[in-house]
Amino acid sequence: MARSMLIITRQSPWSGPSAREALDIALAGGAFELPLGILFLDDGVFQLVQAQQAGQLQQKDVTANLQALPMFGVESLYAAQRSLQERGLDQNALSLPVEVLDDTALRALINRYDHVITL
Amino acid sequence: MKFVIALFSPAHSPVSRRALRFAETVLAGGHEITRLFLYQDGVHIASANIVTAQDELDLAGEWERFVRSHALDGVVCIAAGLRRGVLDEQEAKRHSCPAANLLPAWELSGLGQLHEAAQQADRLVCFGGH
Amino acid sequence: MATLHLLSHSPFADSRLASCLQLLAAEDALLLSGDAVYALQAGTAQRQALELMPGSIALFALEEDVVARGLAALPERLQAIDYAGFVELCCRYDRTNAWL
Repeated sequence: MARSMLIITRQSPWSGPSAREALDIALAGGAFELPLGILFLDDGVFQLVQAQQAGQLQQKDVTANLQALPMFGVESLYAAQRSLQERGLDQNALSLPVEVLDDTALRALINRYDHVITL
Repeated sequence: MKFVIALFSPAHSPVSRRALRFAETVLAGGHEITRLFLYQDGVHIASANIVTAQDELDLAGEWERFVRSHALDGVVCIAAGLRRGVLDEQEAKRHSCPAANLLPAWELSGLGQLHEAAQQADRLVCFGGH
Repeated sequence: MATLHLLSHSPFADSRLASCLQLLAAEDALLLSGDAVYALQAGTAQRQALELMPGSIALFALEEDVVARGLAALPERLQAIDYAGFVELCCRYDRTNAWL
């Protein structure tokens, strides 16, 4: 049985290459049809804000690439409720279909995976 | 146990020394290192262009010696390497860059190598962050 | 199926420790290394937060980092370990989660 990996992404799309490099890990794993999950935590939830304009910063649009995840077979997407609330984000207005989890559910989530990478 | 060790910080970060001591101890304890994987700023550990002061630890050199002396599989993520200017001869030529600087113990490859190793290993341990 | 969480950054610089504490499951463990050992500094909210973790959560610190920083008056529940201990912990717990 394939070992599962949870990728926890904690940075905004604009703070540097972390968001992009977390996504790359997910896409590479998806291409090999591996069981993966992505958790958007802390500033990582800013990747889920709609109508961002990467062009303003002459940057590639990570948020658009996130839309590719289901195509790569990565459909287990989660966001931390606390992180969304702390940052004033409406969990019903996110750019991706994510399951919003409270702290209790998050603890259980991490312990369901064989490996974890937090970027 | 089989370990994959992933490094995300450069040689001058205290993380790289901690990771090396950890890796040495993994082998000393009779465990295996399936692969070492350099990602994000960790790719700089594979740079041949790092010049360390005489009274400082040459972590890039120490890592290279460690990988070679134990014949370990040391992989540098090619996308992360290109982005940060760590290139082998092939990539330097391909992109018309003036220099190749990848230390011989390391090999540029894709993220698939991280996943392949994670599939084979019992434990994935990451070191890094800034 | 418990997780060994690895922290290596100063808890005064950002929210890694705070976020980690919110995500620790009952049988998880926390290993502090690098500047994360500053969370052990007496008289701080961070130290208090560590002391208030449920007793089922094991707290470890890399000894070389504690000694290098001259930290004293450490929590009773803290277990200082060397690299052999670090490797053993990685084997003991089902997975590691390094807060990079």
